[in-house]
Amino acid sequence: MKIRILILLLFPLVILCGPGYSAFAQNTEDTTKDNIDELAKLLDSTSKGGVHSYYTTATFKSTRIINGHSIENVGKGVLDFRIAHRFGELNEGVKNLYGLDNATTKFSFDYGITDWLMVGVGRSSFEKEYDGFFKIKILRQTINDACPISLSYLGGMSVKTMDVAKIPGYTYYLSNRLFYIDELILARKFNQYFSLQLMPCYLHYNIVSELGEPNDVFAIGAGGRMKLSKRIAVTAEYYYTVPGHKLNGYNNSLSVGVDIETGGHVFQLFVTNSAAVTERTFIGETTGDPFNGALHLGFNISRVFTVVRTPQVK
Amino acid sequence: MCFMCFLLPIHLFGKGEVYEVVQGTIRFHSDAPQELIRASSDKLIGVLDVVNRTFLFKIDVASFVGFNSPLQKEHFNENYMESDLFPVAVYSGKIIEDMDLSKDGDFNIRTKGKLTIHGIDHQCIIRCHVICKKGVVTVQSDFIVLLADYNIKIPRIVYDKLSPQINVSVNAVLSVKSPS
Repeated sequence: MKIRILILLLFPLVILCGPGYSAFAQNTEDTTKDNIDELAKLLDSTSKGGVHSYYTTATFKSTRIINGHSIENVGKGVLDFRIAHRFGELNEGVKNLYGLDNATTKFSFDYGITDWLMVGVGRSSFEKEYDGFFKIKILRQTINDACPISLSYLGGMSVKTMDVAKIPGYTYYLSNRLFYIDELILARKFNQYFSLQLMPCYLHYNIVSELGEPNDVFAIGAGGRMKLSKRIAVTAEYYYTVPGHKLNGYNNSLSVGVDIETGGHVFQLFVTNSAAVTERTFIGETTGDPFNGALHLGFNISRVFTVVRTPQVK
Repeated sequence: MCFMCFLLPIHLFGKGEVYEVVQGTIRFHSDAPQELIRASSDKLIGVLDVVNRTFLFKIDVASFVGFNSPLQKEHFNENYMESDLFPVAVYSGKIIEDMDLSKDGDFNIRTKGKLTIHGIDHQCIIRCHVICKKGVVTVQSDFIVLLADYNIKIPRIVYDKLSPQINVSVNAVLSVKSPS
């Protein structure tokens, strides 16, 4: 009997204490969580500069979209060796294996002097043209959209070294063989997958072949890429030459391709209606009519070498 | 029960309770057969509440420098960490040992908390060596992060170049947070 009374007396105590104890345990967990939330708030309110203020990277996979330049530069101290190849026209038939019998090639070396300045030299087999350029980053898009776009300037010059039939009595100046390109590149990486850029271009010919042809060619280009996976992307590029400011008998350049990235290499495979690779030839002098099957298969291979390494944090 | 809820939480930080990282570095290296990759960042920020023994450390993933090439850094941010989507890595939790960090001393402690990398939370216990001296707390810790735990996949082509386990080393100096 006594025991029964004792149990009866203790019972309410157990009921009170049991859940009370577990509630206490629950509360320490909650307190820790509240505390951490409080710390997170404290950290956010005091952290200098805040997060997300970093530059957007990899708007494009390579420094070229297809024929033309992308917004990307090679990094500081990096040498990029590129081989560009354009086969003949697809409509040449089986006799020329759909253009694979002919090809124009270009070798080039690009180097990043700083993270915002890149220079390059190249040699193209089409009309034996040598070219040099520099590309400067002016504005850079940031992750937090404090700067929503990237802007770069490209300046270049090329010289045609192919022999020409000389008419006696005329003086042939070296300047007759020179071409200049000025280009602005405006780009935005909209998300992980989609990037777009616009390129107003100005080409200058010191001499043109026909009377009445302009020496200055204006064009506006558009390029984009859509990533299919982390390492494969579809790219497209179009250059519209402004009527009245273009050479007679040439078309606009249209290219569609695929970028494949494997470690230090980027392979670009595409079809384009431009037969050659320098700015002067594909913006100003694209011959092929894409709707008539005058398309060229082509590829670019890029291999980067690190010449100067960036240091670690001390 | 109810009144206990009121009693326990909600007390604001008093003076001298919260320590703040004044100088913090995180280094990591991946030791694979074909390639050794090292990178580091001195942009570690964090706070430590010495009374409740809770803490929160945070770093911008995009702030890591080093690597073997700028392209490798780009791949780190773009293909592996996806820093545009998951800009920060965070470790928050509580010190397991009941100890008073406001007193001078040399402690080996364990911390239990949530490590968030690549947008994925993982509960873990990390050992730290802590030295407290005249209101300055120095923290040193080495631990291993398994890429598979954080859904970071290694493509076949770089299998020999990227280790599935990354050695991480943290050094931080904390001092009493000045009122702001």
